[in-house]
Amino acid sequence: MRRYLYIVINVWLLLACSSEPDNVVKVDQLPEIYPDYIGVTIPADIAPLNFNYVDEEIDRMDVIVRGSNGGEMHVNARWADFDIADWQALIRQNQGGKITFTVCVKKGGRWTQYKDFEIYVSKNCMNEWGLTYRRIKPGYEVGGDIGIYQRDLSTFDEYAILTETVVPGRCFNCHTANRTNPNRITLQMRGEGGGTMILQDGKQTWIETKTDSTKAAGSYSYWHPQGDYVAMAVNSVHQSFFTGRGQRIEVYHKFSNVEVLDTRTNELILSPLLQTEGLEIFPAFSHDGKWLYYSTSKPCRVPAEYEKVKCSICRISFDAEKGTFGEMVDTLLNGPSADKSYVLVRPSYDGRWLMYCVSSRGNFPVSQNDADLWLMDLRTGKSRELKEVNTPQTESFHNWSDNSHWFVFASKREDGMYTKLYLASIDENGRASKPFLLPQRNPRKYYREMMDAYNCPDFTKTKVELDAHKTYRQVFDNKREKVKIR
Amino acid sequence: MLLGIGMFLFWYLLYPHALSYQEQYQLFLWTGDYFVERIGLPGGFADWLGECFVQFYYIEWLGALLLSSLYVALQRLAARLLPESWWWLSIVPVAFLWWLMGDVNVLLSLLVAIVLALTIACARLSKPLTWVDVIIVPIGYWLIGPVMWLYVMIRACQIGWGHLWSAGWLLAVQLMAYAWLLPQWPLQQVMTGLNYYRIPLHYPQLSGYDKETYELIRMDYLVRNERWDEIVKRAGNYQVRTAFWCNCVNLALSQKRLLADRMFDFYQSGSDALIMPRTRDLTSMLPSAEAFWHLGMVNSALRYMFDTQESILNGRKSGRCTKRIAECMIINGHYQTASKHLDLLKKTLFYRSWAKEMEAMMKDETQINKHSVYGCLRQFRYKENFLYNYEEIDKMMGLLFMNNTGNKMALDYFLAQMLLKGDIRNFQQYLGLAQQYGGYRQMPLGYQDVMRCIQMQGRVSDSPYAKYVQRMTERSSQP
Repeated sequence: MRRYLYIVINVWLLLACSSEPDNVVKVDQLPEIYPDYIGVTIPADIAPLNFNYVDEEIDRMDVIVRGSNGGEMHVNARWADFDIADWQALIRQNQGGKITFTVCVKKGGRWTQYKDFEIYVSKNCMNEWGLTYRRIKPGYEVGGDIGIYQRDLSTFDEYAILTETVVPGRCFNCHTANRTNPNRITLQMRGEGGGTMILQDGKQTWIETKTDSTKAAGSYSYWHPQGDYVAMAVNSVHQSFFTGRGQRIEVYHKFSNVEVLDTRTNELILSPLLQTEGLEIFPAFSHDGKWLYYSTSKPCRVPAEYEKVKCSICRISFDAEKGTFGEMVDTLLNGPSADKSYVLVRPSYDGRWLMYCVSSRGNFPVSQNDADLWLMDLRTGKSRELKEVNTPQTESFHNWSDNSHWFVFASKREDGMYTKLYLASIDENGRASKPFLLPQRNPRKYYREMMDAYNCPDFTKTKVELDAHKTYRQVFDNKREKVKIR
Repeated sequence: MLLGIGMFLFWYLLYPHALSYQEQYQLFLWTGDYFVERIGLPGGFADWLGECFVQFYYIEWLGALLLSSLYVALQRLAARLLPESWWWLSIVPVAFLWWLMGDVNVLLSLLVAIVLALTIACARLSKPLTWVDVIIVPIGYWLIGPVMWLYVMIRACQIGWGHLWSAGWLLAVQLMAYAWLLPQWPLQQVMTGLNYYRIPLHYPQLSGYDKETYELIRMDYLVRNERWDEIVKRAGNYQVRTAFWCNCVNLALSQKRLLADRMFDFYQSGSDALIMPRTRDLTSMLPSAEAFWHLGMVNSALRYMFDTQESILNGRKSGRCTKRIAECMIINGHYQTASKHLDLLKKTLFYRSWAKEMEAMMKDETQINKHSVYGCLRQFRYKENFLYNYEEIDKMMGLLFMNNTGNKMALDYFLAQMLLKGDIRNFQQYLGLAQQYGGYRQMPLGYQDVMRCIQMQGRVSDSPYAKYVQRMTERSSQP
């Protein structure tokens, strides 16, 4: 008897929980969904774009997804929670086409059907395993529970690469892979036991990049495409805090120079053109490794003159064969003359584009509320603001996928404080698609409960294999090979 | 019974501040996710249960009752495991743990884990059934952590040394967990416990209940509860010569409008006696954060609270800090980020109703403006946007006062900071503000003393300010 009762209760629960839309009222407006995925362009290798309804008081959501090249999915739940395998099959089938979403919402016992919306599936895949990024509390001078993580972009799985539990109380960041290849990674750690980790083909070594001739250890790294050199900024980063209600923090550097480390010999390559009294920062090699891009600003008495920090984008030639710099610096964009600051250059790996941040001042864009992304066409030298992706809040920390069709960036658009990751594509004319928030299984719950900000995102071709146990031993052994000046 | 009553009275009457201290460095959430997150690590169940108990410290008598019950349970279990004639030895673990927990970073999870280990050990196994330890040891290790060694030792005593294979098994379990399940944890912690002590890779000290440490904790507890009269009274009886103590006392004096009169009657540590510079630990900045809050320097209060919370090295949130962070965000009109913090508090037992109240208030701007505290602090905030500079904190307080001359605490702190720095010239220049806006019927005694000191060029034998200046001069002349 109890068994039958159990079956009856379960069948009733199943029926009650999967109520299909009936007596539907159609309205001529788009559904209000979170995240706003309406009209975005996605790669065919991305995890399901699950979404919630903005109104939290709804009883249920019914979503039908149809592909322009065929295929259909149906979800009836509290939020649009798509099956990963079904989603992958559907978007692969519709690569280069679009998928249409029909959303019905049940509230107060009544169903409402909203206007259909579309998501476009790009003909270009990302061809990346996932993303790497740092998660940190968006605080002030204490990072808290810092961690570098990686995320499989075709599922919702996140894995820790290195967390604070391994190296308590240490600040670490600037993890940089060579053109999304995790076989070449650098990572910097500040404070006691600090140093630079270089992971090359599974070999994990720690070096001390501060020398008697350079002012500090290297950071803000960027690999030369051949994989032998790492460009670094040598600086001292500080923060000051505003009394007003807008921007909270001004990040500034008391000095900053650029150098290149030869990882084969652990030698630093310096140039007087990159060791000036000005502040050279955020270096990045061109796709062919023949140029080193960076930003530079005149020296200012910071923090008092924080508003005067205006960066220009420059480049200097680099000969990888000889390991030498050129003797002339080209200025691509002049910050002081435009009364802007141009920072964080990221050349696309196909050599076509240069993406950078523009803000009214400063050389650390993630702390500037007005930081936006701009794009320079390296064939014509013309720049334009990426209005398609910018908002009045901060956009920064951008990086390209290996095929240069996609880019990831961090934005504070939702609340002005917690940076989140967005992905967008670039077409042949340099037009960006509407960016979409990094998908999560239950996005509203995930992002509401997430008390970390994302920074330094980058694509990764395969999963990063870092031995955190070994890292612990190496950090606490405190054995660092000192670099030499070439 | 006697032990229970004794323990209860100890915590409830003598050391309620110790309970408050523990409660303020965690935020127990009544969610499945929180439970799953905790039990995802060895010792996680004891940790979760310990935090569950600690949240009740919010109500002091209840916290004291639960804690004393745990100690009684420990004694009863120990007595049960000991031979009957040796029952009196059961007091030893109680006394040891009570003394050990005088180290403020020892977490309740340690006591809970020990009680659980003894509970399992009380289920006596007959020899044919000893094989069940093959299952009990790994499960026990995952639930209560390395305290499972205690269980293994007790079993060896009960069954015989032949049972020591279970020690090898426990060691193997720990090593396997380290190799395959805990890639982000050092071996040292896997072997000794991930969650018994607040500071990773550090271990308890048998320091007991250090008088000065606990006095400072008490001062902060009184600040948290705005028991200003008690602070002033205690300060008169016992002084702990640190900036932290001064921050608490000066804040209390300012809230009673006694700062101008009596500040130099108490020990003053120097220019950090009103507000301390940023310090990376979980306690030092709290009284300064509270002072910023009362002054109306909302951004600074937010920053100090945020950094305090992030300095909790076991990565836990703080109910007290989260609440204040949300309040600062509400005052600044940053409702989206405020609601993120309120959402956290809504999942707790004791902050829930407050968070819901705030959530409702955020929908009505006029209600916030009318609020007795928030509305007032909105008026006190800086109107100009500039960079905070600790080196010029006196000027910042002066500007804060000029923003709103009704902010008498800012006036008191402005003048007091100049005195602490020994900036007599500016003090004399701005002293008129105290007469004009201070609301004093007569010149405060402290200021009278300072003026007398200036006129007599410091040669005043009974002047508290002269003594302060002399002490500072001596300190600066020391190598």
